[in-house]
Amino acid sequence: MDGATDTGVPHWAELVALVDATVARDGAAAAEARRALVAAMGEAAMIDAAAVIGGFDGITKVADATGIPLEPGKADASAEWRESLGIDRFTAQKT
Amino acid sequence: MLIRDDLDSALRTAWARIGQPGTWWNAADRVAIAAEARHAMGCPLCAARKKALSPALVAGDHASLGALPDAALHAIHRIRTDAGRLGESWFRQIIDAGLSEDQYVELVGVVSVVTAVDSFDFAAGLPVRPLPAAQASAPSLRRPRNAGPGPGWVSAMMPDARTEADPDFFGSERGTAHIHLALSLVPNSAIQFWDMLETMYQTSAMMRDFTRDYRAISHPQIELVAARVAALNQCLY
Repeated sequence: MDGATDTGVPHWAELVALVDATVARDGAAAAEARRALVAAMGEAAMIDAAAVIGGFDGITKVADATGIPLEPGKADASAEWRESLGIDRFTAQKT
Repeated sequence: MLIRDDLDSALRTAWARIGQPGTWWNAADRVAIAAEARHAMGCPLCAARKKALSPALVAGDHASLGALPDAALHAIHRIRTDAGRLGESWFRQIIDAGLSEDQYVELVGVVSVVTAVDSFDFAAGLPVRPLPAAQASAPSLRRPRNAGPGPGWVSAMMPDARTEADPDFFGSERGTAHIHLALSLVPNSAIQFWDMLETMYQTSAMMRDFTRDYRAISHPQIELVAARVAALNQCLY
């Protein structure tokens, strides 16, 4: 998921722009992303997108700091696309 | 700016709970953990380590507020700034340095709440909220009697091992998914985090109900946003 490929999800570019600006703590980019998202989907959508961004910025800390693995069923089901997307390299970078 | 009432309430409640006595840390410690988590975002050592091929290649001292033991300081800074590259050997070093497993889990909970709330406020263009005042009271120091090995590095409490004396984190909706078990060693920390998270994202039942949308963005849009955040954080789970 490189942030530049059309995912087919409506308004994906506006949503991804707000994610990227928030994780990077880029205030100017976040302001522009909010303006674009509100123009495209309205303020309530921007707020709910911000809520998911915050929630998942938090839950990734819970998952990574407690070392939980994928459940066996999910690991089996996702093995092929995890490899194709390069997600498995995250494991190799753990120290 | 119009924020739905349940979201506003959940965020305020989660924030206020930081200033309440925990299970293994007192309220002043919990507020200090929150302050240090914020401070870590401007730590030059953390920034240098984040850019390095391996964080272990960069030595130095953290920019610290100085209110917490070193083991807590190191844990907070890494979790807040580079959690995606944490490994079990790092976790064992933190425990060997003097933090108990229970203290560690509660610390993870506080850092995760601060991260979630601060990121929401930043994304929504809201001001940074002031840290809560710390209430004077002692931590309860109570570990679930039937806690056992968890799916990750820390112990966990399974739903069917809960006793009447344990806070009811699981209820009827939360089960044995590893992410639900992750903070269950400290049930009040799990409750604090999940009560907030389910309002920011969705409950498990909402997530699986594709007959309707519960938020102002659709199921696919929610999952796109969630996946992008996870990818940028290098979170495999």
